[in-house]
Amino acid sequence: MAILACTRPPYPLQIFEFLKPSTALDTLFFPQVQNELHRMSIPGFGGDASSTYSDIPKDKIELEIPGGSEWRIEVPHKTILKVKVISGVAEIFGTELPVNIEIQLTGVKYAIYSPLPEGAKLEYTTSQNKAVISNESEELVEYISEESVMKNYINLHLALEAMRQQVSDNNILNPTTLKTGPKVLIIGNATSGKTTLAKILSSYAIKSDSSPILVNLNPRDGVFSLPGSITATPISDSLDIESANGWGFTTTSGSLYHNPKQPIVKNYGFSSIEENLDLYKYQISKLGVTVLSRLEEDVNVRNGGIIIDTPPLSIKDITVIENIVSDFEVNIIVVLGNERLTIDLKKRFKHKASSLTVVKVPKSGGVADADEAFIRRTQEETIKEYFNGNSKTRLSPFKTDIDVKDHTIYKCVLASDFASSLSFLPSGDSYTVEDDQKEDKDKSDEELNKYYTLLSEPSGSNLDNSIVAITQLPQANESSRELLNTSILGYVHISKVDDAKGKMKILLPFPGAFPRNVLISTNIGFNE
Amino acid sequence: MDQESSSNLLEDYAQSLSELTFNSGPIIENLTAIAKESPAYADGIINIITARIYKAIPAQKLYSLYLLDSICKTVGNPYNILVGEEIFSLFSHVFQLGSESTRQTLASKLFESWKVAKTKGTNYPLFPQEQLDKIKTFLDRAGYPKSATRKAPSPELSNKTLIEDINGLIPLFQKKLQSNSSDPKLQDRFNALKQLKMLLSSQTMKTAELQAVQAQLNTIKEQELNTPMPTPATTPATTPGPQNRSIVQTPKAATPQPPAMPDADKLFHGLVISGLVKVDQEPIPGSKPVYSVVFPKIKYVVPKNGDLPSNSALQDILTANINSSIHRSEYEKIKFGELLIVSKQIATDLQGFLNNNTPSQGELNLLYEAKSSKCSLCGKRFGTDTEGAAKKRLHLDWHYRINNKLASRSNVQSRNWYLDDYDWANFKDEALLEFSTPDTNNGGDAKDVNAQAKNSKVAYVLVPPNDTNMNNRCVICRESIKATYDNSLGEWCWYNCVTAPGESSTSRKIMHATCAQESRKKRGPDDEGGQRPKREKT
Repeated sequence: MAILACTRPPYPLQIFEFLKPSTALDTLFFPQVQNELHRMSIPGFGGDASSTYSDIPKDKIELEIPGGSEWRIEVPHKTILKVKVISGVAEIFGTELPVNIEIQLTGVKYAIYSPLPEGAKLEYTTSQNKAVISNESEELVEYISEESVMKNYINLHLALEAMRQQVSDNNILNPTTLKTGPKVLIIGNATSGKTTLAKILSSYAIKSDSSPILVNLNPRDGVFSLPGSITATPISDSLDIESANGWGFTTTSGSLYHNPKQPIVKNYGFSSIEENLDLYKYQISKLGVTVLSRLEEDVNVRNGGIIIDTPPLSIKDITVIENIVSDFEVNIIVVLGNERLTIDLKKRFKHKASSLTVVKVPKSGGVADADEAFIRRTQEETIKEYFNGNSKTRLSPFKTDIDVKDHTIYKCVLASDFASSLSFLPSGDSYTVEDDQKEDKDKSDEELNKYYTLLSEPSGSNLDNSIVAITQLPQANESSRELLNTSILGYVHISKVDDAKGKMKILLPFPGAFPRNVLISTNIGFNE
Repeated sequence: MDQESSSNLLEDYAQSLSELTFNSGPIIENLTAIAKESPAYADGIINIITARIYKAIPAQKLYSLYLLDSICKTVGNPYNILVGEEIFSLFSHVFQLGSESTRQTLASKLFESWKVAKTKGTNYPLFPQEQLDKIKTFLDRAGYPKSATRKAPSPELSNKTLIEDINGLIPLFQKKLQSNSSDPKLQDRFNALKQLKMLLSSQTMKTAELQAVQAQLNTIKEQELNTPMPTPATTPATTPGPQNRSIVQTPKAATPQPPAMPDADKLFHGLVISGLVKVDQEPIPGSKPVYSVVFPKIKYVVPKNGDLPSNSALQDILTANINSSIHRSEYEKIKFGELLIVSKQIATDLQGFLNNNTPSQGELNLLYEAKSSKCSLCGKRFGTDTEGAAKKRLHLDWHYRINNKLASRSNVQSRNWYLDDYDWANFKDEALLEFSTPDTNNGGDAKDVNAQAKNSKVAYVLVPPNDTNMNNRCVICRESIKATYDNSLGEWCWYNCVTAPGESSTSRKIMHATCAQESRKKRGPDDEGGQRPKREKT
């Protein structure tokens, strides 16, 4: 059964199956520029900016970000912000914007930072995103703040870069005793700016010619993949800030305006880590093994080290933190703005003090709360982008029908369901109890039950409108251990299962034969 | 003196002391002299030195203790009195955190000298007897100094023996220079080795230093014996034979002899990196290995014996060698310089650096102006040296290719699945970048397409990019043709078809390959084969 995290009005997903859009399509889609533009309030800077209003067309707003300040913007999904740097240097979370090229943002909470004393001049327009129908406000929230913590983040980057420098020099001079760059774990509460910091560190690293592996352990965000996954991706080029969650595209999307990245994807299947903590930890350890072996093989990423982004974790989740530290051989923990947690972690890892440093950096005052609906919408955009691309890069997914019986479909187990099936109490919901009767299962299968169970009766009720992960397993009769250890080949969307005919209507990211027949149904829902 | 000048003096003193990151005779002498001239600030100076001993990284503690020792012995009152009550804790602190060789030096040399030293101009012991007794008990318990067997060889280890060692290595380098005379670095290194020899013959060095130099020279010898010699006609260089040039320091560039010896670099890296720098720094087993190379920000060059190289001159040579042995672009050179300072700061206090450092213009430039050539399309930055310019050219070419491709084929692209664990672990991201060449792009698309074209000569026509109608007709037999998706090409194609003659490749006018052949036959060979040459003649 697919659980939709949040119901919402049907969304017109554009499938360009046989329709070839021209490149001028964006302008066709969003022809209207709204008249009611939002006057900005620039603290300590109002006078200058407003005086320039008269010189420029009414629909274009110019503004100047003083050096060391940031322009914080919250663009609802309903609104499209087109922004252009006129002069100076401006960057979004470490990714520098080109001058005189329009950047299109929608559904984001970003800060555009002006790092150099000269400041930066921008010009922007807003328009309505006709593709999105929702009742959220379409108002652009924006203000300039002088209180930037970027100084501390730049310091952190410089420190990491100094470590990378020593490591890379060492690795050139002493090829027999190779060292690895800093392995950084970012920890913090919800909305403390963990992902932002991860983006900044990644972007600055690539600007400094380093190429760390970005590990995302927050299954809520699909980083270079879909929500429900945990991934590791070498940052070999700048991020694509115009993509749905600001990370960018992968080789799954073909040739693009940005160089694609190449992630390794592990399935978890839920948005929240509490749903099945054992599965989560298991997948972290598997991802860790793969990442560490990549470090062995690839001198560029070895020098770059690792940057790990996490879901909100507190000292209560110490077992998860300990797992991550040992699975990825973390040697620096960066705590975002939480003194107490910093001290607790220092105590906890006292025994490792020689190999593990815990430091604290301040939390940005600009971190904006994202409500459930916003998060859900961003997830949908991420999924949509995987199949269809975005306004700049149109992709053509492929709709086809496949036979249900040709495929073995597993589903991710909810820890609470597993617990209740053990207690032999009526679970009270429609959860289809899998072969509890079979007493004589071998041990590894029993172990598997904690994580995945075979979907014995795949049907519309449990597969419609869900995202299904295709495993790398060549055929169904692999051992259950193999199923647990496999990584993800790609995702398909099942829109409808025709129970009578035994056919599934699926959406593949690109045309071709269905590649593998062992699938894992995730709890990530998606309506076209 | 007024308050201000006193604080100035102490600040300067602390500043100079912070540069005592290696065993520098000149710095120690200089600081001792200042202490001698300013007995009024004895309190402050002692505080600065003791604080430094406690705070410095383990490898550098010893040098500050040497300074303290030097001041107490040459100046005496009031310094030795002021520090007297604390001398045990200072000594044991350095001892406990020190390396084996530091400990040996402390126990056998420093402490032994304290036992007999008298306060200058008096007959009183240098430090309180009760403190010295405490140190004695402490050392006894720790089992130091190590028995006489251990102690015996160290006096024998002198500058002289090391010079002999170096003399053994010099012919080796000469040989390398002969086979690889075009390498200017090798010459530099050879010069460094010679200077080291001069240094050894002109200055007395501390036992610990000598030991370290010796250890390193030994490793080099070992390495050399395990390394195949460049020419078969040579014997191991450590036993000078007739083939070896005698120890004359005139390695005039001989006639160039290919091939270059690949291990030459490796050999000298060993000397430069672990050995000679070790003399200055003494990394401790088990201590944080991050801090393997340390150089002072500002060097005290006190010209001493005229033209002889001083310790810091040697340091310069070594720094230059480290830099020259790694190829760096302009940007990387700037980065190296900036980050060297950062490394120094974060080694002692990472959290403090994160909190308090205000990124200097130079540090900020690493992210911006140090690569001043910015791509006008995407904002990516490139250096202005030839390497940067070449990269930018490739980058712009790539923009052009991609834009063309995306403008003309907006909906058909080569897309891939994610990799599995094994492939991912062995994947190199270079293959994704615009700088990749067909060589580095292992198993890339180009290869596949070529293979495809060679293996199966199935004729096909790509569906024109801006076309929405995938169905077409053969212009000859009017039979309808449906497009099929070609997985390896990543394109929609009409198979077994060719474009009608005279049409552009993006035309919709296609015909079956077989129909085309038929019609050619009908028109006769002249039509195709005969007409063109005629036209060329006219």
